[in-house]
Amino acid sequence: MNESFVYVTYIRTTPENLWNALTHREFNKKFWFGMHQECDWKKGAPWKLVFSDGRVADAGEVLEIEPPKSLVLRWRNEFDPELNSEGYTQCRMTIEPEEGRVKLTVRHEGEKPGHKLIPKVSNGWAQVLSSLKSLLETGEALPRTEAAKG
Amino acid sequence: MAGSKFVYVTFIRTTPEKLFDALRKPEFTSIWWCECWQDCDWKKGSSWKLMIPDGRVGDFGEVLEYDPPRRFAVTWQNEFKPEMKVEGASRATFELEQMGDTVKLTVTHEIDRENSRLIEGVSGGWPPLLASLKSLLETGDALEMTKKWPKGA
Repeated sequence: MNESFVYVTYIRTTPENLWNALTHREFNKKFWFGMHQECDWKKGAPWKLVFSDGRVADAGEVLEIEPPKSLVLRWRNEFDPELNSEGYTQCRMTIEPEEGRVKLTVRHEGEKPGHKLIPKVSNGWAQVLSSLKSLLETGEALPRTEAAKG
Repeated sequence: MAGSKFVYVTFIRTTPEKLFDALRKPEFTSIWWCECWQDCDWKKGSSWKLMIPDGRVGDFGEVLEYDPPRRFAVTWQNEFKPEMKVEGASRATFELEQMGDTVKLTVTHEIDRENSRLIEGVSGGWPPLLASLKSLLETGDALEMTKKWPKGA
């Protein structure tokens, strides 16, 4: 079995609000360490996660997309040569409405066994998704508190 | 040693003192932890029980570590579900790290046996409960679905 990281959170919001926050660059910058995604959001479209200074952090493509329920990205690190040489991972985001809240599940899995990126993403996802929840529930994202990759 | 482990990290805009209290004191847990409360005097070695609102004991153990407002840990054996009770005692650790206006909370729940039903159960339980706790501390309102003990449970 390939290494995977799974993070589940629950946010008092609607699936549409959460989908917008995940896919619109101006929202991304607020909760995603100043980074944003560049993508046309269609199946097969190229995808990039870009630092605030314009460098590409990660890149890949959209494998599946079904707004506002699920998004699957092929995802490879671009700025660390060792992680880049590990090849691709897949990141699946699933949004499920429940009473009074939305369940967001992020599953990040290497395409090869023992992929070195996966142990490194756990703290980043916890921070980013905690910040996203604060943004949607309070109007204010969390300050960046730990050095993000790059 | 082979075992089962669940780790959950969340970041909450609060203070370590407020979070340390909200994790343990009945006036908070009764709101975000399905009306449950912890029966404990919070000294190392003291008995610890998680009480269900109808008076049953949900889980029991003792305080292993108590270092306010940074860390506490308990042994945790389920009482009211036979298939979990038979597994014996797990260990639940709560670590709070202040980072400016934010606190990083790490909950580690583990047991020295593989494929633990208890750890499987808490793996599903901790994310909605901790999300509700975060909402309570940041917005003043817990998430609806964790305010009451589930009917029939």
